[in-house]
Amino acid sequence: MNGMAQPDNASYYATYTTVLTVILVGVAFAAAAFGANRLLRPTRPTREKLLTYESGVDPVGEGWAQTHVRYYVFAYLYVVFAVDAIYLFPWATVFAAPGFGWVTLVEMFVFLGFIAVGLLYAWRKGVLTWT
Amino acid sequence: MGIEEKLPAGVLLTTVEGVVGYFRKASVWPATFGLACCAIEMMTTGGPVYDTGRFGMEVFRASPRQADLMIVAGRVSQKMAPVLRQIYDQMPEPKWVLSMGVCASSGGMFNNYAIVQGVDHVVPVDIYLPGCPPRPEMLLDAILKLHHKIQTSKLGVHKEQELEEQELTALESASTSEMKGLLR
Amino acid sequence: MTAAVMPLAAGELAAFGKDPWWIILIKAVAITVFLLVFTIFNVWFERRVVARMQHRVGPNVHGKFGLLQSLADGIKLSLKETIKPKGVDTILYVLAPIISAAMAFVAFSVIPLGPEVSIFGHRTPLQLTDLPVGVLFVLAAASLGIYGIVLGGWSSGSTYPLLGGLRSSAQMISYEVAMGLALVAVFLYSGSMSTSEIVGAQAGGSAVDIFGVTLQLPSWYGVVLLPSFLIYMIAMVGETNRAPFDLPEAEGELVAGFMTEYSSMKYLLFFLAEYVNMVTVSALATTMFLGGWRAPWPISLWAGANEGWWPLLWFLGKVLVFLFVFIWLRGTLPRMRYDQFMRLGWKILIPVALVWTVFVATARATLSAGYQRQFFFGIGAVVIVVLLLSFVYDAVAARREKAEEVEREEADQVEFDPFAGGYPVPPMPGQKVPGLEPAAVAVAAASAGAGSADSSGGAGAEGAGQQADSGEERGRG
Repeated sequence: MNGMAQPDNASYYATYTTVLTVILVGVAFAAAAFGANRLLRPTRPTREKLLTYESGVDPVGEGWAQTHVRYYVFAYLYVVFAVDAIYLFPWATVFAAPGFGWVTLVEMFVFLGFIAVGLLYAWRKGVLTWT
Repeated sequence: MGIEEKLPAGVLLTTVEGVVGYFRKASVWPATFGLACCAIEMMTTGGPVYDTGRFGMEVFRASPRQADLMIVAGRVSQKMAPVLRQIYDQMPEPKWVLSMGVCASSGGMFNNYAIVQGVDHVVPVDIYLPGCPPRPEMLLDAILKLHHKIQTSKLGVHKEQELEEQELTALESASTSEMKGLLR
Repeated sequence: MTAAVMPLAAGELAAFGKDPWWIILIKAVAITVFLLVFTIFNVWFERRVVARMQHRVGPNVHGKFGLLQSLADGIKLSLKETIKPKGVDTILYVLAPIISAAMAFVAFSVIPLGPEVSIFGHRTPLQLTDLPVGVLFVLAAASLGIYGIVLGGWSSGSTYPLLGGLRSSAQMISYEVAMGLALVAVFLYSGSMSTSEIVGAQAGGSAVDIFGVTLQLPSWYGVVLLPSFLIYMIAMVGETNRAPFDLPEAEGELVAGFMTEYSSMKYLLFFLAEYVNMVTVSALATTMFLGGWRAPWPISLWAGANEGWWPLLWFLGKVLVFLFVFIWLRGTLPRMRYDQFMRLGWKILIPVALVWTVFVATARATLSAGYQRQFFFGIGAVVIVVLLLSFVYDAVAARREKAEEVEREEADQVEFDPFAGGYPVPPMPGQKVPGLEPAAVAVAAASAGAGSADSSGGAGAEGAGQQADSGEERGRG
């Protein structure tokens, strides 16, 4: 297809199973750490110790603060740009290969243009200002 | 054992208590409890020349959940006392308290109704440090003595035995009001 | 001047996925151990370097040069009591540090550490594995690590951790966008997302002919794509919640942020995850921009520098440089306010990254289509036009500013009214108190006549200061 050699199917899946092995090793390490901790630590729970920390005074309220909606908006913007980046990545790898000419370039610029207009709209609407 | 004699300081024959004590004293994280003037000296002790960072104590944890040592630096007012107790309670075991300065140790120069006359009315103190305020060298000396106490503290059954012995000794000894002469 | 197009990397992915299971296990364990030891070293290194930058010494008591310090920290944390406060959501409370730590380790699995070596007789690359979408995988694993932070903050059941966790994660996702966009330029040049191929693409640079002398141009993307490198460096500091972007973790602000309610081992895992993240983004920066495990220029003249186990050393050296830069930034820069660095991430880094991507894509397209000369002339013309416009702008702005200053001075010459609005008011800067000097001279003369030594000493030589003083004395007395 392009300059990248496609590995055969078995070794392709083998790379992903290797990744899975690393995830399992990481989780196993964390579990072993917790196990060692449970064996070694002292345990003396008292009522005050288990209270929520609020700078030394008794905690008031539920523990759920009302959060501003801008966290949601920023997460949403992040999703949009992350998807944009994911579209850019494979485009960037195949873009310079023969057979993909100026049309590819201009296509992606149109896509980036849409995203940029969206960012500009958010900017002008004051969404990006963290008050 | 030939190799034991060659390694320094009895490394191979050390006890679990010794190893645990060493690691606990090597990494004591103080909790920020600077209340008044002694806090300035505490900050100085964390700075150049008197650097507590040499002992690994440069990291002052703000959350008591991650702290080992509470250095009560300054006078504790009646209003602050419940907060002090709460913070102490929210620290995980094993924990120590260093009462820094005369105000924390005994009320200091404030012999009145507003200041708690010694923070040991509120929390159990492990080491008292007099001074108004104590010089950074004095604070370092107190910290090192506390390190020695942590290194030699016992675990498990030994600790229970030690506590029993201490209680018996305290019960049999004369009370402070019966002591005559200079209490030295 | 001619410049050859960067060659696409040859397909090297065929070397992966063919290891027997024991090699994979050895490599997985080796990487885990390497990351743990490197973290321990990192903690010690950071404390020593920050201390030196602050004219202190840092840990030097426990162990030679204080090397046992971070080990002592780890062991002490595992021996501490674990508190599980009352209001927590147990499953998520326990899961959050596991997610953070596991993802931090996983992201390191596709980083190339060296070329093919022989392990117990089996030839295998010094890299756990490689995927055709290697870099995307690293970014995805880093994003999953953010879950750990959000869940940790939310499950603690208290306001400080919740706000701290939300702020941390909002900051991290903002800088991830900038990171991803900065890396697009690297993919444009290397033609692949797989980390080993990107390292291979930085192997040989193009040559340029200047007056008959052939010079090797630098092939590292850190030089060729400098703006990408700079954007990536800023984004990587923001991504890992490190100074100067560490407001969510700052002690005065939100206690310990999302880690407030965590003690002992769970705290240790978060702590570990943060430092492993630092190592991972540094390793990714090394791979993308500093040529990975390839030896830098003077060493690369020696043929054996890129063979066998030596590249591990060059790789470590480059990662250490990045870690030192992290620590340097922490020891030197003050913390930025939260809205300031959100503004930096969204309003400056992302538009710059987008514009740079467009520019690099156009450059690559024109270069591969053979329009080099027109392209460079075009760039030169644009740069000259921008410079001329900036000169014109500067001149106009300076003239306008001067006019404004003259206006302001004239406005200041308002007559001083000592009882404006009914209350005695002092003079504004630039206003002069009318009638002070002649009256002070008369006062000094009168005091001289009365025999006061001070005023007579001051009348002639000292000037306005003394006169004002004597005027004040008269006023007060």
